[in-house]
Amino acid sequence: MTRLRTLQGPALILSLLALLWAIVIVMLLALKPSVFGLSTMTTIIQFSTILALVSLGQAMVIMAGGAGIDLSVGGIVSLSAILTMLFLKLGLPPLLLPVACILIGVLLGLFNGILVTKLDILPLIATLGTFFIYSGLALALTGGAAQSGVPAWLLSWGRGVVLGIPVPFLTIAMPAFAFAGVVILWTAWGRWIHAMGFNERSARLVGIPVDRMRLVLYGLSGALGGAAALISVAWLGSARPNIGQNLELESLTAAMLGGIAITGGRGGVGGVFAAVILLVTLKTGLLQLNVNTVWQVGIVGALLVFVLLADRLSQHWR
Amino acid sequence: MRHGVFSMNGREWSLLAACAVAIFVLSVASPYFATSGNAATILRNSVELLLVGLGMTLLLAMGGIDVSVGIVMGLAAIGVGRALGADLPVPITALAGPIIGAALGLLTATVVVLGRVPAIVGTLGLLGVYRTAIFVLLGGQWLSGLPTGLTVLLGTTVLGIPIAAYVIALAYLAMWTALRRTPFGLHLLAIGNSEEKARLSGIPVVKVRFITFIVSGALTGLAATFYVANYRNVEMTIGSTLALDAIAAVVLGGTSILGGRCSLIGTVLGVLLLRILQNGLLLVGVPSLWQPVVTGGLLIGVLALEVATSRLSLSQLGWTRK
Repeated sequence: MTRLRTLQGPALILSLLALLWAIVIVMLLALKPSVFGLSTMTTIIQFSTILALVSLGQAMVIMAGGAGIDLSVGGIVSLSAILTMLFLKLGLPPLLLPVACILIGVLLGLFNGILVTKLDILPLIATLGTFFIYSGLALALTGGAAQSGVPAWLLSWGRGVVLGIPVPFLTIAMPAFAFAGVVILWTAWGRWIHAMGFNERSARLVGIPVDRMRLVLYGLSGALGGAAALISVAWLGSARPNIGQNLELESLTAAMLGGIAITGGRGGVGGVFAAVILLVTLKTGLLQLNVNTVWQVGIVGALLVFVLLADRLSQHWR
Repeated sequence: MRHGVFSMNGREWSLLAACAVAIFVLSVASPYFATSGNAATILRNSVELLLVGLGMTLLLAMGGIDVSVGIVMGLAAIGVGRALGADLPVPITALAGPIIGAALGLLTATVVVLGRVPAIVGTLGLLGVYRTAIFVLLGGQWLSGLPTGLTVLLGTTVLGIPIAAYVIALAYLAMWTALRRTPFGLHLLAIGNSEEKARLSGIPVVKVRFITFIVSGALTGLAATFYVANYRNVEMTIGSTLALDAIAAVVLGGTSILGGRCSLIGTVLGVLLLRILQNGLLLVGVPSLWQPVVTGGLLIGVLALEVATSRLSLSQLGWTRK
C-alpha cells in the first residue's frame, strides 16, 4: 500500500481500479466459484461494449468543461436504434443501416451541442430536456414495442466472437478508445480539450475555438451513442425503445470512477475504460448471483455518490 | 423592484395569456375540455406539482437542482401509505409525508452541500439509490386499495374551498415571505448569484443551502400526502416524470436556472399551463406516452425563445454579445 501513495494521476486511478476489480472478482469467486468461465468473460465484454462507447462520449464532454454533461446519452441510444429501424421499414436500403444509425446519433448530439453553444443553455438543463424528448420519442413512436427485422448479415457481425472476444468490441469499441486516447494524449485537439476544461477564459484568450470544439464533442457523444445503438440492434436482433435506460447514470459513474473531474480539465480515456469493465463485472456478477436487477441501479448510484465524495475528500487531504 | 404577494411582470402576464390561449384552443378542439368536472381534474392533478414546484423554485434560485424529487415523493408516499394502512390517526398519517421528505432532504443536503458535489450529479446518484429503495420497500407489489382516511384533505371544504387549496396557499405565502421578507431570502438569492461572493460577505452559505434542501424535501413529502389522498395507491413507477415537470414549470415561470432570480407566481402559472396542456392533449387524443416529449420540448423551446428575445433586445440597443 505504501507504493500506491507514490503513484500519481492516471497510474494511481488505474491501480486503484485494478485493486477494486480484484476485490470484486475475489468476492464473486468466494460466493459462487463457478461464476467465471470463458463464456462469462465474453458476456462481460459484450455488455460493456455499449456502456464503454457511451461513457467515452460522456467523458469527453465532461472533460471539456463549461459545466459540460450529457444526460441525454440513453435517449440518443434508444432513439437512434428506433429511428433506424423505422427508416428501414420505410424503404431504407439495409446496407445503409449502420451509417444511418451513427448519422442519426450525430444529429441528435449536434442538436444538444447547438443548444449548449449557440443558445447558451446550461448543459444540464438542455440535455435533461433532450433526454426526455429523445427517450420519450423512442417510446411514443413505437408504443413501447421492440422493432424487429434486422438483416442477417448484421446479426452475424453483432453476435460474432473471435477468441472469446465479441466482434463489435474488436471492430468499434477498441478502435474508438484507441483513437480517443491518441487524440487526447498526442494531438493539439486533446490539449485544447484539457485547456478549455481547465480554464475556459484562458483557452478563449489564446485563441482556442472553444464553442466549435464543444459542438464537435457533443456531436461525437451522439456518434458514439449511435454506434452503441447499432451494436445493441445487431446483438439483440431488434431495436428496443428502452435500451438506453439508466445509461446516463451508468456512463456518469464510469466517467467519475475513471478519474474524469466533474469540473473538467482532468482525466484520460484509459481510466474510463477500466471503470466500465469494473462496473460491468460487478453487474454481471450480481446477475450470476441471482440478485434482482433493480439492485443494480441502486448500487451504481451509490457508487457514483461514493466516488464523488471520495474525490472531494482526497483533494481535501492533499 | 417591489415584490407584492401576487405582483406580476411581463413574463408572468404572458404566461397567463398563454394559459388563456391554451384553454381557448383546447376547448375548441375537444368538447370534453371546458367542463367543470375537467377543470376540477386539472386542479386536483396540479396539487403535487405545485408543492414540488415551490421547493424546486427555491432550489433553482439558489443555483441548485434536485432531479430525485419524484422518487423522494415516492418514498414519502410509501411511508404515508403504510401509516394509512396501519390506521394511525389522520394528523400523524398526514405529517408522515413531510417528515420523511424533510429527512431525505437532509440526506441530499449532506451529500451535496457537505460533500461539495455538483447538485445534478449528486442527486442523480441518490436517485438510483432511492429507486432501488422503493422497489425493496414495496417488494415488487403496488400499495393499492388503501383506506380512505386521508380523503378528508380533498373532500372537506371550508367556505366552499377544499382544504388542499388552503394548504397550497399557506405554502405559497410561507415561501413568499421567506424569499421576499426575510434575510434568508436575500441570502438564498445571493448564493444563487455567486456562491463565492456570498461566502465572502459572511452569509452562512452551508446553513442556507441545508435549509433549502430540507424545505424542498418537506414540500415534496407534503405532495406525497396529497398523492396518496388522491389516488389511494403507490405504484412502482411513481414520480418518474415529476422532476422534469417541476423543472419545466419553474423555468417556464421565469426562475433563472443559473440562480439569483426567481418568481413564485410564475411557478404557479407554469404548473397550471403544463397541466392544462397535458390534460388537453390527452383529451384531444394524443397518447400519454407523448407527454415527456411535449414537456421536454416546452422546456427547451422556452429557453431558446428567451435567448432569442434577449439577444434581439440587446442588439437593438446596440449591444453585442460577449
